[in-house]
Amino acid sequence: MNDIGGGSVLRRRPDVRFRVIDEEGVVVRQSAGEVLVLNDLGTRILAMADGLTPLARWIDSLLGEFDVERAQLERDVVAFAEELVAQGLLEPLPAAAAGAPGSGGGGR
Amino acid sequence: MSFGARFLCHPEGFPQRQAGDAWGDRELTLDLPGGPYRVLGLSAAQDAGVRATFPGSLDAGAASGADGGGSPGAAAIPILLLRRAAGDFLPVDVRGWEYGLDFDWSPAAVRLAGLGLVGRLDWLPDRPGMEGALWTPEDGGERFPGVFENFLRVLVAYRLLELGGAVLHSAGVVKDGAAFLFLGRSGAGKTTVARLSLAQGADVLSDDLNAVIAAGSGTAVGSGTAAGSGTAAGWGAAGASRVAGAADTTATATTAGCAVLKLPFTGDLGERRAVRPPVPLGGLLRLEQAEADALVPLSRAETLACLLACTPFVNRDPHRRERLEQVLLALAAAAAPHAYTLRFSLHGGFWSIIKRK
Repeated sequence: MNDIGGGSVLRRRPDVRFRVIDEEGVVVRQSAGEVLVLNDLGTRILAMADGLTPLARWIDSLLGEFDVERAQLERDVVAFAEELVAQGLLEPLPAAAAGAPGSGGGGR
Repeated sequence: MSFGARFLCHPEGFPQRQAGDAWGDRELTLDLPGGPYRVLGLSAAQDAGVRATFPGSLDAGAASGADGGGSPGAAAIPILLLRRAAGDFLPVDVRGWEYGLDFDWSPAAVRLAGLGLVGRLDWLPDRPGMEGALWTPEDGGERFPGVFENFLRVLVAYRLLELGGAVLHSAGVVKDGAAFLFLGRSGAGKTTVARLSLAQGADVLSDDLNAVIAAGSGTAVGSGTAAGSGTAAGWGAAGASRVAGAADTTATATTAGCAVLKLPFTGDLGERRAVRPPVPLGGLLRLEQAEADALVPLSRAETLACLLACTPFVNRDPHRRERLEQVLLALAAAAAPHAYTLRFSLHGGFWSIIKRK
């Protein structure tokens, strides 16, 4: 299990393609030929996984959009992020690399 | 496992370019979507094997014993048949095994390896279009047609992508003058739906692979109608108009200008020998087995995702993904009013709800 928390920085894996169409995200894991469609929240989260923005900032951003307690939102976002990591869509950056130039996501 | 290691004794010895000893001096031309395709270097047995496997796709000139000249106005895509020693291939126990080719991609080439098959597709800077080469130890016989078809499937998929089209894992069914593509991977129910459609009086193009192209792609796509029409003219802008016109005469609503092209690549159903002109696309239907029949509209994102999942060979190529997404986005946009998830039962009643749409 990945130890993901508010300070974690994640990015889309290099073989992941990501495109937003009508507020839905189309995610392609190219090496496996897998394709997923994400709802608007999933799309927002994947879009924020840019290899620069820590997870706590995702929550700050989402709090303004959803009527939910911060603790609940944090649990949901962390759980979803862990799921995306397990599915091979996101990867956590080592602390030293997080925020370094060129550490942005591999997809769009 | 590295590229080719499942099939080749020495994958590091994969040919660096399209060169080697031809099997023979026979040649023929296949008029398939994206073509014509000129097959060179065939032995007599291989020549007979290709003719027997794809009789409806032989160029009229080749079928009559001429030199196999390509379609007027369209440069033929060459395919070289070259020798490869049987000892270069590893023995493979295929019992209970799902066959898949090995691929290796680069910006200017695609390499593939399989059972009795070493292949290259190359895009050369000084020539338009692409070129294919197939190295095989099979000189005719039972296995050669399968080896050749496996290579040809990949070549046609890449060629159509180049031209703004796509080969889709689908059952293609023609009903009331429109073609419906039932999309799904192995086990989704393509052959079942095709069989149920046959019982309803529909024609099945193929229950495995069909080609589709969106109007306005600015491409000339081989009609696949050489034997049937006596002409091998490419299907360009005039053809697109023809397709749109044909749609106007049918009772079934069709997507604007998209057309389905029959391929001679079938599973259990579909007549590989038959040829037919492009058919206007009536709808894209993602298959989902269920207790009761229902149609659920697909969003554009869902349509694109479904199309991406159902484009064999090319959808894992990192160097052509941008192109593939462009082509499929155009198709998803054109098909949007007619793209659904089809929840179907085995009662075959789904056609009544498709017609109502």
